[in-house]
Amino acid sequence: MLNHWILIGLLSVTTYISRIIGVEVMAGREMSPTLRLYFNYVPIGIIAALIIKQILVPTDGQLVISIPVLIGCLATAIVIKKVKIFLPSVVIGAIIGLLARYLLN
Amino acid sequence: MDENIETIKTGFMEALPLAIAIATYGLSYGVLANQANFSLVGVVAMSLLVFSGSVQMVAVAMLTTGASVASVLFTSVLLNLRNLLYGAALAEGLAPAKKWRWLLSFGVSDEPFVLGSSRFKKHGPDPLYFGIVIGTFYIAWACSSFIGALIGNQVDPQKWGLDLAFPITFVALLIPSLKGKPIIATAFAGAMIAISLEYLMPGNEFTIIITGVLAPLVGLYLKRGAQDA
Repeated sequence: MLNHWILIGLLSVTTYISRIIGVEVMAGREMSPTLRLYFNYVPIGIIAALIIKQILVPTDGQLVISIPVLIGCLATAIVIKKVKIFLPSVVIGAIIGLLARYLLN
Repeated sequence: MDENIETIKTGFMEALPLAIAIATYGLSYGVLANQANFSLVGVVAMSLLVFSGSVQMVAVAMLTTGASVASVLFTSVLLNLRNLLYGAALAEGLAPAKKWRWLLSFGVSDEPFVLGSSRFKKHGPDPLYFGIVIGTFYIAWACSSFIGALIGNQVDPQKWGLDLAFPITFVALLIPSLKGKPIIATAFAGAMIAISLEYLMPGNEFTIIITGVLAPLVGLYLKRGAQDA
């Protein structure tokens, strides 16, 4: 529990610092284009890794693919590509993933 | 005065659709944080103090998979790097706020950046607009986190499919941003690196950090290559 509060404190401080530095310090300064590009790609890499970690579930030291999560993710990807609206895509993806879980059990 | 009321109205109306999406995301965060054994006060405190969807979701997801505080913190620093760019880009539009910039800076993140930069481009600096946007998002985020944490205790996440919310939400955020070879390659590299690391060390806590550092290099290489060609 204490760890949670320490984490909340540290995350709030580091996140705020990242925000205020941009506004107060970096404004008007030149950043290397390479570094700028690198920063742009960081969230993409991290989000991809997080999705993979949710699809591949470690069980008894072995990796197991969670089929309902995989199907839910694929359905969401197709829906958001077609309708381009966040909320319905998430809802439809969740329903399809849930249906997959129900049918596979 | 009329102009200020108009700005408040415009800011609220333009923020509202995104606030609804943010609220669904906040609901997922509340449920997931509850599953990660955060107390109700802890869930809401994190939303009030951190106010960052990606950082909070990643922190909770990592804790659920057994990550340490240090690795969560390092990953959040990586995730927050883009705030430096957002802040720098928004600085001119927020300049008239003077000392209030310290408060408005608290809202520098993905969605406010998109709305704010678009407004500043059309109307010039407008701190009031930005304040209304982040205020709307803040209320949506805090309230939905609270509701998510409340219902999290009473529902079986697997039965209601709430455990699917996290990967599905991230897919819904990732797919629209996959534009151009370097970004697609970064996502693909990220997936491949993560799969490899998980196969080598199932459930290890370094997968996200290592992927976050290495995958962008692929996108960078392709982008630089295309620019040099």
